[in-house]
Amino acid sequence: MTTTDNARDGVPISTPLPQAPELRSFPDPYDLETPAGAEGWEEMYAYHNRFLESRRAEDSAKTWFRNSLHYPEVSYPFDQVTIDGAFTGTGVTNTRIFALPPAKGLDVRVINGYTYMSAIPSPDQEEQARRAVEFSKRAGYYFQNWDALYGEWETRVTVAIRGVHDLEVPPLSEFEPIERVLEDRGPSQGNQLLASYHRLLEYIDQIWTLHSEFLNLGYTAYLQFLTLCKEHFPEIDDQTISRMVSGVDVLLFRPDDELRALARKAEELGVGDIVRAASTEADLNSGLGETDAGREWLAALEESKDPWFYFSYGSGMYHSHRSWIDDLSLPIQAIGDYIARLRTGDELSRPIKKLQTERDELVAHYRSLLDDEDVSAFDEALGLSRTVFPYVENHNFYVEHWFLTNFWNKAREFSRLLQKWGFWDDVEDIFFLRRAEVEEAIVDLQMAWAAGGKAQGGHYWPGIIARRKEIYSTLTEWSPPPALGPVPDEINEPLTIMLWGITPETVERWLAAQNGDSSNNTLTGFAGSPGIAEGPARVVLRPDQLDTVQEGEILVAPVTSPSWTPVFGRIRGAVSDIGGIMCHAAIVSREYGLPAVVGTGFGTSTIKTGQMIRVDGNAGTVTILDGI
Amino acid sequence: MANYTKKFEELSSGDRALVGGKCASLGEMVQAGLPVPAGFAVTVDAYEDFRDTGDLRQRLLGIVMGADASSNAGLQRAHDEAVALILGRNLASAIEQQIREAYLELSRETALRRGAGDADRIPVAVRSSSTDEDGDAASFAGQQETYLWVVGADEVIAKVRECWASLYTPQAIAYRSGMSATDAAEASKISVAVQLMAHADVAGVTFTVSPRTGDRSLIAINASWGLGQAVVSGEVTPDEYWLSKIGPAVTSSRIASKAHEYVPDPSGVGVVFRDVEESRREIPCLTEAELVQLAEIGLQVERHYGSPQDIEWALEHNVDGTSQVMLLQARPETNWKKRKEEKGKNTSSATAGLLGFLSQATKGNDK
Repeated sequence: MTTTDNARDGVPISTPLPQAPELRSFPDPYDLETPAGAEGWEEMYAYHNRFLESRRAEDSAKTWFRNSLHYPEVSYPFDQVTIDGAFTGTGVTNTRIFALPPAKGLDVRVINGYTYMSAIPSPDQEEQARRAVEFSKRAGYYFQNWDALYGEWETRVTVAIRGVHDLEVPPLSEFEPIERVLEDRGPSQGNQLLASYHRLLEYIDQIWTLHSEFLNLGYTAYLQFLTLCKEHFPEIDDQTISRMVSGVDVLLFRPDDELRALARKAEELGVGDIVRAASTEADLNSGLGETDAGREWLAALEESKDPWFYFSYGSGMYHSHRSWIDDLSLPIQAIGDYIARLRTGDELSRPIKKLQTERDELVAHYRSLLDDEDVSAFDEALGLSRTVFPYVENHNFYVEHWFLTNFWNKAREFSRLLQKWGFWDDVEDIFFLRRAEVEEAIVDLQMAWAAGGKAQGGHYWPGIIARRKEIYSTLTEWSPPPALGPVPDEINEPLTIMLWGITPETVERWLAAQNGDSSNNTLTGFAGSPGIAEGPARVVLRPDQLDTVQEGEILVAPVTSPSWTPVFGRIRGAVSDIGGIMCHAAIVSREYGLPAVVGTGFGTSTIKTGQMIRVDGNAGTVTILDGI
Repeated sequence: MANYTKKFEELSSGDRALVGGKCASLGEMVQAGLPVPAGFAVTVDAYEDFRDTGDLRQRLLGIVMGADASSNAGLQRAHDEAVALILGRNLASAIEQQIREAYLELSRETALRRGAGDADRIPVAVRSSSTDEDGDAASFAGQQETYLWVVGADEVIAKVRECWASLYTPQAIAYRSGMSATDAAEASKISVAVQLMAHADVAGVTFTVSPRTGDRSLIAINASWGLGQAVVSGEVTPDEYWLSKIGPAVTSSRIASKAHEYVPDPSGVGVVFRDVEESRREIPCLTEAELVQLAEIGLQVERHYGSPQDIEWALEHNVDGTSQVMLLQARPETNWKKRKEEKGKNTSSATAGLLGFLSQATKGNDK
């Protein structure tokens, strides 16, 4: 028997941080130095994202947390639209739409390419009371009509996704169509190009408001059940609570289910060998296009693609993550793996009934431990949590995967037009321009096309883009501190704790690591999925490194994405730097019965690929077994 | 002829009038499938028939009714006189014979199962079993006796008589002297429990609630080598095991260095405190299967009594290699109620505030 202790992360508790003699502060953002070779990084981001010298007194006095959960990588200049959009969505929903009494939005800054955030101070009692009146009316309406509103939300989101997918990028043809002269006499293609770009930006802003629409209401409802469980069962862990609430049939599992179904279909149609031998879509088309059975399978593949292959290899937050639909190599390999498993007699079906029964038994068990007078409050809180949970579990597929895949690809369409007009060589270069700079380029193109001349862009942007690529790569080598500024007196804002996993304990861990007190062969995180596994580590910093993962390795990543699900069939365990209680790595690991430790903070910076490590998903610890 | 002894498995809670509260409750536990150490009751009838022999009943009543409850010396005299009467009178041979047979049967069966010990001299505990409704309160008042490590039929019979005599402590006499003769006769009915002493390799305590937080979904087990005294008295640091009631399944464990243990004295009477050999000190004293078995028994006890329990147990190994748990004592764990009242103290005011706004909104403000 081993010595273990379940990691317990917080019921949001208000614990004053103990005073210690060592440095009780994180670095001042104004004292951080630019890494050599990254001079001029500031130009990659809009002024509103930067620490401005004249605001030093105010901004130095605040605590800034790095948002490594959502934005672990260096921001590309254009990709800042998703970051600003997401914070705008949260802010407007809390502050202006629902008037959440105790919490508003966050300030956002970028330093050396990494995103930091600082909560706007909680309103005073008088303002909270005023907000509470509004909140009751507004949130009350949502809670009372949740299912109908969620159904309507799915429609609105789908319309936005189709909208961005179908958004027309005018071709800037030699002559305006004749209809413009004879019939509508509307705006020129040049006018439309700029309008279309504005429409793209409108969509991204809108989608983040949609993303936030139910989010904090949903998490607050879940927090109620979480708090109730922890009051009655002080030692219950978060994953047990979430298992009582979570659905067994969430959208994030659907893409993987599609791959399993395609594997079965290939076997039924007798084309399994051809599918297994293929590694690209071209292989599939040439191997299967000639027979009826082959064409039937290809049709089924097409059917699955929309929307289920709009599934990012990463979080979807960066244009570079790409999706299954952009590169079918992972799904094709996974279908092949599933065919092989079918041939060994594996049914490949997820035990949905069993999971459902387990969930019901778990609820019945905890419910039976309550005193009679506590049962109805438990039932109500559980009922409300289950009402809100489909949104909590599914919004991610709609927004981060399906919408953003289309959004980034639409930006690439604009880029291709600019590329055609000599602005740059590589379609991906557009992402090194800020959103306002893309507008400048479009105006340049508009003028040149209108006049029949040549745009200035090709003389201007390539040098800037080349320099920014150097800066970008330098910044990826820099290690951003987890927090900046003074250590807060207390951390008790419950949504911060729940969404970002920032607790008094994590802050202490960061301080210890900063001051060199932490042991460097053991990392502590949250017990994401039970079990213990040992194996060689594979550090995967970016989704495009995913194909390096070998059978039997332990995946170590900043944060994992649901679209990595098929890879979980190959690994023995998972470790992530980041993870709150809704963490995907934990959900998928439990689904696959793999041990996982999430939220280790320093996993990817401490562990090296090839090192033997032990993941203890019961205790929430990762041990490096050998040094390199 | 009356039945002067009853095996525990023949008893249930309805037999309180016949065998007293302690025996009836042991019988009830056996009926519920709980593994209490084997034994038998010496029934109320045994004592009633004993004191109905000759003028004993009359004389004892006279002593009680005539005692001066306000005088310590008087009570002490009454006590000495009553004890001398009870221990001095002959016991009817039918009563003596039945107790002797019941003990020898228990002793021989046990020796066979253990594969050790003198078959006619297996140690037992002899305890009073009060018929009082408030029998447990009687034990606090010191009106009842317990004798441990009693060996051999003669000694058992002698201790049964001492239990009977324990009805006449000075306090008990004072208590009954103010009653009517009928009530006093009723209040001086007594049964005696004769129960095996556990011969434990491992012993400890099970809490069917977390003693650190009052969490009712957990079970805590503390255990160490040897007999239970070491754990209960805190003379060793026991292994600490935690289980979830779901399963039940072991969630964590902390293995202590267990340097000492109590074991039965080789003479058969009493215990000795000795060093644990090096090879056993650092290893877990329970297997996972044993932990699960203990947890299941704990849950059974909790269900039986309807509230979280603090349970003393011992684990015996049999000669055939099997092992069996013996429940020694179960008490309600009382702190959890108090902790339950404090629930919510770990919820921050920020969280409580936010949830307050939530419940206002969900309670439907119907606009």
